[in-house]
Amino acid sequence: MLRFRAMPNTLPIGNAERGARFVRGLKLGLPVFLGYMPVGAAFGILATGLGFSTLQACACSATALAGAGQFIALSVIRAGEGIFAVLAATTVVNLRYVLFGATISPYLRGLTLPRQALLAYFLTDETFAININDRRVGLSTGWSMFGVGVISWVGWVSGTLVGAAAASWIGDPSRWGVEFAMPAMFVALLIALAENRQHVIAACMATAIALALPAAALIGMHIPSAWFIVMASVGAATVATLLFPDRSVA
Amino acid sequence: MSDNFIWSVVIGMALANFLVRFIPIAIVSRVELPRPVMRWLSFVPASVMGSLVAAEVFRPGGSWINPVSSPYGWAALLTGLVYWRSRSFLGATLAGMLGFVALRAWLG
Repeated sequence: MLRFRAMPNTLPIGNAERGARFVRGLKLGLPVFLGYMPVGAAFGILATGLGFSTLQACACSATALAGAGQFIALSVIRAGEGIFAVLAATTVVNLRYVLFGATISPYLRGLTLPRQALLAYFLTDETFAININDRRVGLSTGWSMFGVGVISWVGWVSGTLVGAAAASWIGDPSRWGVEFAMPAMFVALLIALAENRQHVIAACMATAIALALPAAALIGMHIPSAWFIVMASVGAATVATLLFPDRSVA
Repeated sequence: MSDNFIWSVVIGMALANFLVRFIPIAIVSRVELPRPVMRWLSFVPASVMGSLVAAEVFRPGGSWINPVSSPYGWAALLTGLVYWRSRSFLGATLAGMLGFVALRAWLG
């Protein structure tokens, strides 16, 4: 890959430089903020409908920051299940973060454990993709990742607050097209991350597996849907690694 | 539903979601990964996004739809084209949402 790489995060930098990197992260994360606001509002509306107070809905978004993991938790609660079923569901849905964490961790080597913990806390599909993309063009640093995380967090939590506090006033959030905010971000991130022919092939294989797994239910094989994304990603990445031997190390 | 139950869900979810993110980072950033593993990891991001897009476009909400007659597939195509031309996440996301609302009104 012939792209220039950023200087390591460990070099001493001044406050002005830190601030500039943080602000750069805030700007990069702006689309995530706008995408999270309406989806966070949808979570607030659904959660308060199930009996969460506004404080509880906001506390959940502020501490879990888990998108799909929070929605699946609500549906398990609605089904009348107990706390362990709720936690198992949210964990399985978010198992892909294990892959994300492992992928991004080589870039976090120079950081202290508390700083790694902070960036881990902000790790979502969208912040991951934006940071990885930024890293590939050689500009991402710990401070810019922190900026991306902060602006995304603010979008998710403020959206939840608006949804929970004004549920009756907002009405049906779908008329604003909010259910397409997340898919739209995924499409843009897919194009950004599939940076060469090999990545495109890996993404196509993942798409095929992700559709084949639920299709297997039609012939009587039942695989829990929470595993589709993880299995498709692991499967496609493995086949791609075998198909394309290591010439230029990523 | 009791207040205690909801608070235990909130606290449990906070812990579960933090640990699933932090443990891999804490471990992997402290060991030197073999080259094949790094190679494998380089394919993960595109693979994850490919499978997420497949799920969102063909099975929104967990049930199969016909992508030709539903707004999801066409809006995804529009989003992709806008991102391809503009390289703007914000522009592509907004165009996708607007397109989705318009297509839904049109396709039903």
